[in-house]
Amino acid sequence: MTEKKKIDRALKLIAGLSIDKSSQVLSKMIKMGASIEMRDVYMADISQLTANRTAEDEKEVVGAFIDLVGDAPFKFLFYVSADDSLVLTDLILRREVGTSKEFDLYSQSAVQEIGNILASAITNVFATDFQISMRPSPPVVVNDYASTIFQEYIMSAALERDEILIIETVFCVVQQDISCRMFILPMQESEKILNYIVSTM
Amino acid sequence: MDTKEEKKEIVVGMADIKVGEAPSVLLTNLGSCIGLCLYDPQRKIGGLLHLMMPSAGAAVNKSELKKAKYADTGIQELLQQLKNIYGVRVSDCSAKIFGGAKILQGNIHNIGMDNDAAVRAILKDLGIRVGACKTGGEKGYKLKFNLETGAVACQIFGEQIQEF
Repeated sequence: MTEKKKIDRALKLIAGLSIDKSSQVLSKMIKMGASIEMRDVYMADISQLTANRTAEDEKEVVGAFIDLVGDAPFKFLFYVSADDSLVLTDLILRREVGTSKEFDLYSQSAVQEIGNILASAITNVFATDFQISMRPSPPVVVNDYASTIFQEYIMSAALERDEILIIETVFCVVQQDISCRMFILPMQESEKILNYIVSTM
Repeated sequence: MDTKEEKKEIVVGMADIKVGEAPSVLLTNLGSCIGLCLYDPQRKIGGLLHLMMPSAGAAVNKSELKKAKYADTGIQELLQQLKNIYGVRVSDCSAKIFGGAKILQGNIHNIGMDNDAAVRAILKDLGIRVGACKTGGEKGYKLKFNLETGAVACQIFGEQIQEF
């Protein structure tokens, strides 16, 4: 198996474990079944990746940016369409769906909280399964075009490299027909840790 | 159908350059990056550079430098492509500048402002007139650069489309 394939495998393993944990935590939080599926782990050229996003994703979204800091720095992004963020707000606040009418402080807090919980679930996986110490930074919530949010998310990794490795997942709250995106982006400094995980496989 | 007459929409990603001719439209979305549109109104030829940083600095000597990432190397590369592919000279071009927003408010450093200043300084040195600019703010930009007219439709998130 090539080195790249091994790292892909390590990332898929981390993502798989994180997704299981995140789904459980999120379902409990909104008291509704939430399934998270890994869409892909891929290496992509930054220009091609962002051009594709611009071409296919014009919608307004709300995103939570979180840095996972520690021994293996990662960047985490969770985003949901602006309309669906209102439904999530109602689910979290245990209100009738449809109560939230516009993006406000409550919706901002709801997205912040979901981002925080998902990122914490991932750092827990690092700690319990791989003994890697990590912690999430406070989430920064932004309401903007999906492609703008995605560009800002990959910015710091793109400054270092022309190709980036990214884990893309989609999670769904089936009963409410909500579909959200979650991304995990390993920073260059986490390569050593990924290699360590590869060596234990 | 003659492909030259076909109206093509060409998407420009981050750290990328695309050049074309009428009736094509160049599209991009920006956050803290700058979108620089250069246009030759006589020949209806233009190019769009989506840059991320002011200067390549020491990386300028790297063999596989992604020139479009930086204002200094990116503007040179855009001019080169316009010249090599369409024969456009620097003196034929006018410029329009967009983007450079501060999307993440937690960041202390405002890279968008630095990008904007660097682009303006380089264009001034090259003697390229800046016909329009819309930069700064805290929200993303959506651009459509129409090579038939040279007009750029700019929509800042949450606002109406403005034409420049």
